[in-house]
Amino acid sequence: MTVTERSVAGSTTSAAGDRQTFWGGLVGNGIYRSLTDLIFRSPRRQFLLLASLPVAWVFIAHLGPILQMLWVSFLDSYPPTVGQEPSLTLANWAKFFEERIFMMPFLRTLVFALIVTVSTLLITYPVAYFLAKHVKRKNQMIFLLLLLIPFWVGEIVRTYAIMILLGNNGAVNLVLKSIGLIERPIPFMYTTFSMSVGIVYLAALYMLLPLYSALEKIPNSYREAAADLGAGPWTRFWRVTLPLSKEGITSGCTLVFLISTGFYATPVLLGGPSTTVFAETIAGFFHVAGDEWPVGAAFASIMLIATLSLTGIFLKIMGRDGKGLLQ
Amino acid sequence: MPKFNRRSFMATTAATGAALTAPAYLKNASAQDAKEVNIWTYANFVPDDFKAAFEAETGIKVNIRLVDDQGKQFNLLAAEAPNPTADIVTVAGHRFLQFIDSGLLAPMDTGRLSNWGNINPVYSESDWATINGEKWGAPILSGAEVLAYNTEVVTPEEASSWDVMFDEKYSGQIAYIIQDMMSVLMLYKGYDGNMVAYMDDPDEAARIVTEIRDLMIDHKPMVRKYYDAGAEVQQMFINQDIVLAHAWNGPISKLIMDGFPVAMTIPKEGSYGFVYTLNVANNAPNADNAYTFLDALLASSELGAQMTKSSGFISTYNGASDHLTELEQKASSFTEEELAGLQFFRAEANDMKYKLVDPAVEEVKAA
Amino acid sequence: MSGRTRVLMSVIYWAFVVYLFVPLMLMVLMGFKDSKFIGFPIRGYTMEWYLGVFQSAEVINVFIYSMTIAIASTALSLVIGTWTALLLGPHRFFGRAVVFALTCLPAVIPGIISAISLRIYARLLEIEPGMLAIILGHTVHNVPFVALVVMARLSTLPKSQLEAARDLGADEAVTFLRITLPYLKPALIGASVFCLLLSFDDFVRSFFLGSYEPTMPVLIFAKLRSGMSPEINAIATVALVLTAVLGLWAERWNRRITP
Repeated sequence: MTVTERSVAGSTTSAAGDRQTFWGGLVGNGIYRSLTDLIFRSPRRQFLLLASLPVAWVFIAHLGPILQMLWVSFLDSYPPTVGQEPSLTLANWAKFFEERIFMMPFLRTLVFALIVTVSTLLITYPVAYFLAKHVKRKNQMIFLLLLLIPFWVGEIVRTYAIMILLGNNGAVNLVLKSIGLIERPIPFMYTTFSMSVGIVYLAALYMLLPLYSALEKIPNSYREAAADLGAGPWTRFWRVTLPLSKEGITSGCTLVFLISTGFYATPVLLGGPSTTVFAETIAGFFHVAGDEWPVGAAFASIMLIATLSLTGIFLKIMGRDGKGLLQ
Repeated sequence: MPKFNRRSFMATTAATGAALTAPAYLKNASAQDAKEVNIWTYANFVPDDFKAAFEAETGIKVNIRLVDDQGKQFNLLAAEAPNPTADIVTVAGHRFLQFIDSGLLAPMDTGRLSNWGNINPVYSESDWATINGEKWGAPILSGAEVLAYNTEVVTPEEASSWDVMFDEKYSGQIAYIIQDMMSVLMLYKGYDGNMVAYMDDPDEAARIVTEIRDLMIDHKPMVRKYYDAGAEVQQMFINQDIVLAHAWNGPISKLIMDGFPVAMTIPKEGSYGFVYTLNVANNAPNADNAYTFLDALLASSELGAQMTKSSGFISTYNGASDHLTELEQKASSFTEEELAGLQFFRAEANDMKYKLVDPAVEEVKAA
Repeated sequence: MSGRTRVLMSVIYWAFVVYLFVPLMLMVLMGFKDSKFIGFPIRGYTMEWYLGVFQSAEVINVFIYSMTIAIASTALSLVIGTWTALLLGPHRFFGRAVVFALTCLPAVIPGIISAISLRIYARLLEIEPGMLAIILGHTVHNVPFVALVVMARLSTLPKSQLEAARDLGADEAVTFLRITLPYLKPALIGASVFCLLLSFDDFVRSFFLGSYEPTMPVLIFAKLRSGMSPEINAIATVALVLTAVLGLWAERWNRRITP
């Protein structure tokens, strides 16, 4: 590459700011035009090259199937009955708002996802902290791998293992009985407790890795400096460690929140009679009666909108909306 | 205890006993072009050694896609329509209508199945089996909604009525599938759980569903778990989380065969039965091979027995139970008295029924 | 850091390890149970289930099939996800929020809906059900996770490093390869773990997008129909050991190529 190019590249960040709104709009509208622009050597060209694949991918691979789902959510029957043209309707969407019984699992799922996110954070933070700050650097990989192994057991097999752990005749009750602590088994299973045991397991990894990677790169010298200035352990934690691990917390919480609204098998298998989650409600439309596809699609769209909005708000609060991401 | 397979649910019997001949399917095989057949079915329904023998003898490769429930199968087939990859699918008899209405199944030409007569006519000629004047599937295994109980805790006398599901003594040790239990409880209360009787009286149907829903909500504190899968109810019995459950006979039968102290019965108020059938998909790419396969599978009662052993459900083949051990027979049969109370699920009123039942199920869960 | 906090921290870590490993131990143990069902009491032990896994080629083939899909979809997800993060991270442009929301979409849709939609969509695009369809389906589901993780890491990349590189005469490509990519490495490793795991444990997308060859979870779900047997536990255990071996090998290989 030549010197001229280099100087052009160097000015990308500042120069691009003026034109990006315009070009971004172009990209949003037509990939074709962005491709024709590739022949021009300029910051624009670079940006468009950068934008082409992600934008094409999200529109074709991410949006395509969703549009498919949205379309079905407005049909009155799907799959179509032989000899009948399906007609358009809003009834599937209206169903959610008309019948109050669906509101409960919906709200429960959102609250539940929030609780899962917070408790997973509280449980895994000390673990990640210990790993990043107290384990010798050369051993960290081994300690981390140790934590990663159990996640490779499939969700279903692991969930059944939790059942034989917590059942009335399960491992925990057998041990408690044999050491004389209890006479009658404690019914752990099919309660909020058993469900939490399974869910935290499922979510922990997605919190653990971002936290670890954020904590790991905080230089020890920062805390030492704070200590030299007379800060106690708590002050050091609140004023130094916690703010510096914010990026890890945000990313871990986003991941866990996003996936926990979709949890299905674990709550179904470990939960009790009153812990129905929304994913279960949606799956019910396919599981039992096949022609409820449109309602399932409408409900999924509602969940989608809710989850994405909440995630957006969360990211905004955490300062990840715009400026925060790489100056 | 009389053997189930030789008797009929409706106490009708018919002479069957078509001679079990040597592989009659061989003669058709050479006419095929594409040498494969694609089957969607549950694990353990098609015996492995049969599959191997069939492939060796006919040169038709058997591709099996393992499915785990009816809903997914329906949705997948619907997503593939009108050009499915499947030749044979496994549909529960009372869900025929759903598949037929969406044009997913082809009528079955029983004339092409020389071994059709090996199926007990209770199943092959039953009224639910004929829709729009056509047969739609070959019955292979039959199931029933049963009352299952831990024999170390619950007595057979107690289990002789569905009443026991409401006995305070077993509070917190009861499980059932809400949707299915709703049909059973309609029968328990003296109504038609298929709702065919109320097709002209939707108000009465709605009233009945509300009554049953309220009964379930009243007793919700007694329920340990509303479950979905057979494996769940098995595990709950083993873990002693429950002593009583409504269940399908297959999973319970497998527990009995394994020596677990559990028994099942059809209580005096009666219950519902269903039949798994193999069906040829509409527009199946290898329909000829599908018929060859079905005819081969129906050829011997021993195959029927094998399917019972691995699935726990009752074989629809004549004479299949002759190939079962005493324990296996016990685990897969009911008394004459029990069978008298058993009727098949029917699909005619399903549209109306599930429009009422589905929301009621949600309400029970939400209560 | 005071000694007491240190002890407390290590207690929490090890308690967490125990929590993760107890179900795992039970699973391995139950694979030896001489019965058709898992659970207590265990009256007899047998090697039959574990030997059975190796006697038929089925499980090993299914494992290889699943692993191939997982690795391929992870590789694809890493490229697309990182590329997306590089676009969304440093650049402000019109429609950025839309592209960001679209990127996150697949992570939020319930599995069953996503699977059926993808299946119908694949038919529209004339992609045959089978390995390729599953790989693409998993990639769609994985990209949001890669993008989020990489964006988080990218946001902490010191700008001074990029400027220093440019001052030293590096062009964009060289800067990316020499500065950005190495800095992203921990995030990329973390994201690969997520992707491999999500793909390897996915049932519903594999079921709908697959053909007649089952993946590991599809096989396990099908077998589960007749009960949670020691056989399934043995299969899962063997798969776990194979994965661990693969992981350790990858880690050593990684160490060898990076000084």
